[in-house]
Amino acid sequence: MPIVATAGRATHVQELGAGPAVVMIHGLLIGSLASWYFTAAPQLARAHRVRVYDLRGHGRSERAKTGYDTRTLAEDLDAVAADLREPFDLVGHSWGGLVALRYAIEHPARVRRLAVVEAPLPPSSALQMASFLADNEQLPARLIDALPTPLREAVASGRRQAQRLMKSLEFLALESSLLADVRGEPDFTDAELARVTAPTLLVYGGSSGCAPAGERLAGVVPHARHVVLPGGHYLHLDARESLARELEEFLA
Amino acid sequence: MNDSDDILRTVERLVVEVAGDELLVAGPITLTTSFNGDLELESIEFVALAEKLQQHYGGGVDFVGWISKKELDQIIALTVGELVEFIASCRS
Repeated sequence: MPIVATAGRATHVQELGAGPAVVMIHGLLIGSLASWYFTAAPQLARAHRVRVYDLRGHGRSERAKTGYDTRTLAEDLDAVAADLREPFDLVGHSWGGLVALRYAIEHPARVRRLAVVEAPLPPSSALQMASFLADNEQLPARLIDALPTPLREAVASGRRQAQRLMKSLEFLALESSLLADVRGEPDFTDAELARVTAPTLLVYGGSSGCAPAGERLAGVVPHARHVVLPGGHYLHLDARESLARELEEFLA
Repeated sequence: MNDSDDILRTVERLVVEVAGDELLVAGPITLTTSFNGDLELESIEFVALAEKLQQHYGGGVDFVGWISKKELDQIIALTVGELVEFIASCRS
């Protein structure tokens, strides 16, 4: 089922393994379903039916000019998971973690267990993870001028992957509402967070700027376990095996 | 044509289906060609390639199980030869 229609939009979905369903959501901008596919997903697929998908505008899903706020992305998730009859497990990284959280609050009967990895709070602080975009409200006419040096050099050297990433970033940052949606996303209130009924795993990187968000969630989300792993924001890469192990144990 | 050559040509055909034939401007894909360093496939294209391989070879080729046993740097350094060898081992 590589490409499915969600609310009239083409969404790239992949499935691995068999068993109780787990849906995994990646982060914005440089994320895609490959973020999970090459990290924790194969390990979880030993005992689960793991469904990963590209968020709108990302990977091989259809480009979208708007709708990167957590409510719209949670609606997309609802469409992606529409055929799953039983409540399913949900795992999200970064902005994908916020989408998972939003979904768990709004559809408590659909979510069996929830794992939130490196979700930033307040949500608008997400742009600190892509500081080259956060530094200036007014982006330079050529996005390449705002890139961190190694990526700028990779683009300039004509590397195919860098060129393609650049094109994708240019669309998301300059032609879509993504940055405005992130900046305009209201914070989750404690009352909202207290409505999460699913058992929740919170995984944060010890050296990540998002770490305080983990502490806040641990204090407010009712059935939460908080784990800090050595690593930064991109924990699925920095702590690939230990993160996969934590998720595997939590979802066992 | 032996099994390994046959698999190599299949991998090449599927790579072109996923990422276009401009990937072959430097010459045909060989066993030492790397997916990341030489072909410069994006990770999401590699997922698409895996899907096509699975469709072509069927469930007997457990690509995801194979990947799950590899370190990230091994995946990044993966060559066409390693993939061909893996597929051949599933078929023997």
